Amino acid sequence: MANLNGNMYGLTILSPILDDPKIKISHDTALRMYLQNMHRHERSPFAKVAGTHICRLVVMDDVVYVGSPAKEEHLKSKYLIFNSNLYGGVDAYLEEMARKIPDVADDIWSHCVGYPGVTDPRAFAAYMKKCQIETTFFFADVNDKTVEQTLKALQTKVEFTAFVEENQGRSPAELQREFAAFWERMRKSPPPDGGAKELTKGQAARA
Amino acid sequence: MTNINGKAYAMNAVTPMKAWKTPILRILFFLLGAIKSKQQDLINLSFIHFARWVIVKRNQFPRLAPEQPEEQLHYDYLLFFSNFNGTWNQYIDAFSAVLSTGLNMIWRWSEKFPGSVPVTAFKRYIALVQFDTDYYYTAYPYATTNDVKAAIRVDDRLQAFANDSAGLSPDEFQQAYLKLLVKVQADIGALGPAPMGT
Repeated sequence: MANLNGNMYGLTILSPILDDPKIKISHDTALRMYLQNMHRHERSPFAKVAGTHICRLVVMDDVVYVGSPAKEEHLKSKYLIFNSNLYGGVDAYLEEMARKIPDVADDIWSHCVGYPGVTDPRAFAAYMKKCQIETTFFFADVNDKTVEQTLKALQTKVEFTAFVEENQGRSPAELQREFAAFWERMRKSPPPDGGAKELTKGQAARA
Repeated sequence: MTNINGKAYAMNAVTPMKAWKTPILRILFFLLGAIKSKQQDLINLSFIHFARWVIVKRNQFPRLAPEQPEEQLHYDYLLFFSNFNGTWNQYIDAFSAVLSTGLNMIWRWSEKFPGSVPVTAFKRYIALVQFDTDYYYTAYPYATTNDVKAAIRVDDRLQAFANDSAGLSPDEFQQAYLKLLVKVQADIGALGPAPMGT
């Protein structure tokens, strides 16, 4: 199936945006304003949806006219594109969105045609899948790690770099003792927050 | 517009294709997926976290209510989404220089595609068909694809080292530790700042 690459799933959803000429601020503009102000880092709603490696939301106003002799044509609806590179199964992921970020899902998809709400997570997932377009070709450079495993590995890289710097010239016994303490600290520390702007050394020590 | 988050750039592009051409492109994508060696240049570039191409047939745009007007399109559309590291210019230059044959194979079916070489016309075409991202999230904005791959290698080696070094004498431990450093030396180091530029 072209949506899959290893354990990664390439989800592509096009939800038609409501068109109501009677309202003062159109739905696509209201959506853009909302998305502009949504948190992008550790307070991002998508940091709460565990499978999300990378995702985006895009208001697609129209198709593109590339010039003569191509025919010029236009879409009759605008579409909200939701594109997620996620680890694991798509049904569980969409239902998790309904459970973990119900207010945000409502704020976004209530601007779209036929949106059923999030009260029933399965109905939300079914709605999203009605808007899904199968990915034709999906490339994932790393395709076998969860978000948590990836974050933890990045933390290990940063902390171990600091460990190497700080423990140059130690005697064998001191080095062995320090490494044991370091490894125990790493083992016990939680993964860094998803979406955080920076990853600095010492986070594991403070955890 | 939010195309950039840390070290990741979100690119979106849409190009029209005559409907009779899309089955050919589907076959090419099927072969690209089935023959892994054909993806090697993309893997070797190592600055794309994820990328995808999506063919939307002219009658495939979701219509969820009778009051939603039905699309009446002449063309099918090829959507392209990429999550890459670096700047837009670096990306397009690298694509043009390293993957020109593959890119031409994919986009030659799109209307008025000028070819990926020379790069000037290619850049002009991409700028025309690109549209901006409204919201962009990445779980690790400070990390490039190479950072992620290096981190996984370091983590794997450290896990193995922690297991294998249990019970060694201090002198044996130091020898094993030095061997570990030789193995991971290319993969450790600071993550560094995001690139500046366009």
